[in-house]
Amino acid sequence: MHAADHAGAVFGALSDPTRRQLLATIAERPAATATELASELPISRQAVIKHLSALADAGLLDRRRTGREVRYRVTPAPLSDAVSWMAEVGGQWDDRLAALGRGLGATERGGPKL
Amino acid sequence: MTNRVERELELPAPSEEVWQALTDPERLAGWLADEVSLELRPGGDATFRHGDTLRRGWVEEVSPPDSAAGAEAGGGRLTFWWATDDEPATRVELTLEPAGSGTRLRVVETRPLELLDLVGSPLFGAGGTSSGPQLVATR
Repeated sequence: MHAADHAGAVFGALSDPTRRQLLATIAERPAATATELASELPISRQAVIKHLSALADAGLLDRRRTGREVRYRVTPAPLSDAVSWMAEVGGQWDDRLAALGRGLGATERGGPKL
Repeated sequence: MTNRVERELELPAPSEEVWQALTDPERLAGWLADEVSLELRPGGDATFRHGDTLRRGWVEEVSPPDSAAGAEAGGGRLTFWWATDDEPATRVELTLEPAGSGTRLRVVETRPLELLDLVGSPLFGAGGTSSGPQLVATR
């Protein structure tokens, strides 16, 4: 359940093109601040902070306070890795269970059976 | 923290028959992988070949539907671990329970993520802070 929640949070955070652009920018410039990012992107500092917060909440960004500024870095792989793992393994089980169901006389998989 | 995949399937067969399909290597070869060998006891070896993919593993729990432990689980449970050579092992739990005149099969595959801790990737929601010590810093 937790993993599915995380996957949802990641997809939600990445559904916005501005957030994807932010993430890409931070990947190239580790330890960026909201002020620096706002000066590079055509959006306000307030909007940058809001997007950074969504990305951090989804576990995609790591934030550290240094003095009065918060610096952001891209979190290494685990979440995107989790999402692709779940997609791949889930697909494999769908195939296996479809084969098992055929062998045991189940009707078409996908909807409620019996 | 773990990654988790869960599926359920209702089968129009009694739990004893479904159990056969889960534990008889010949029956397993019809759906789980092309070729399966399974030593059906806790700690037993297991090998699964599917196409070019070879998984090795071991059996954790064998509780047939007609056993006390199986009844406690609701209708039988088989748990094993498997892994390809280049990936960490994952745990597969297959649980049976009666559903009308048939059987419901629940599959849960989980992947423990502790290894990711060891390479220094902060785990989201795992309780640790991402500013904590990174155990391995070689990248």
